[in-house]
Amino acid sequence: MSSTAGKSNPFSQPQPESEVQLDTVWRVVVLNDPVNLMSYVVLVFMKVFGFDEVKARKHMLEVHEQGRSVLWIGAREPGEAYVFTLQQWHLTAILEADEAH
Amino acid sequence: MKRIEVRLSLPVVRPLLDVIKGLVDDLHSAPAARVGSPDPDAEFSDVWTRDLVAAQSSDVEMLLSIFGEDFHTDGIVFFDQTNAEAIARSCSAVRLRVREKYLKDLSDESLEAGEVDLAKLDEGVRKAFTCYLFLATIQELIIQHLDESIIGF
Repeated sequence: MSSTAGKSNPFSQPQPESEVQLDTVWRVVVLNDPVNLMSYVVLVFMKVFGFDEVKARKHMLEVHEQGRSVLWIGAREPGEAYVFTLQQWHLTAILEADEAH
Repeated sequence: MKRIEVRLSLPVVRPLLDVIKGLVDDLHSAPAARVGSPDPDAEFSDVWTRDLVAAQSSDVEMLLSIFGEDFHTDGIVFFDQTNAEAIARSCSAVRLRVREKYLKDLSDESLEAGEVDLAKLDEGVRKAFTCYLFLATIQELIIQHLDESIIGF
């Protein structure tokens, strides 16, 4: 994200490592588990992310069929909050750096 | 306030409560979903885990509370705005523990499909599996019968 813009801008300074870390984009990912009910997972996605039922069901099916689904992308701190809330609902939620950005 | 009441069979459900009660200490000490915090920092992880366990403990107590004196008198349990979410979550927590402790010899596929031959299970595992199904039924009841005004989307 910011590193590409930096390369094309001759006036930009190299970013300190801490700023690069802050600029990293993070993904909230839910992994499949054999225990939680599909209807329960849909409920959790609607509640935590405010998705409508169609979108929540689409993500639930991704989790079920592909083993994982990316639910949210953004800054680390709100990502951690989402992961915490999902873990409170006992879903297998992780936070991972989005290498594409 | 919308409220659903369900009359359960005491002879069927009472033994299943032993399974739940047998897992309470564990649920008061560690998160049911063993995922961990996204930050490797030990202090951060400790706080993360402690907060998860505190929330989980509170939910489990809510689940146990519906099986109090009234339940043992008439077999009725109720769900409403004050307890539905906590009970749905705690059912998930207990199911995860039941799966880990008692049903580890069953494949993910057979559990997901519900294709388990009860006759082939020994008594303890059969009771745990029945409890696992019972808690799923409670979750389904809450999800199907309590609308968004109760669940609070």
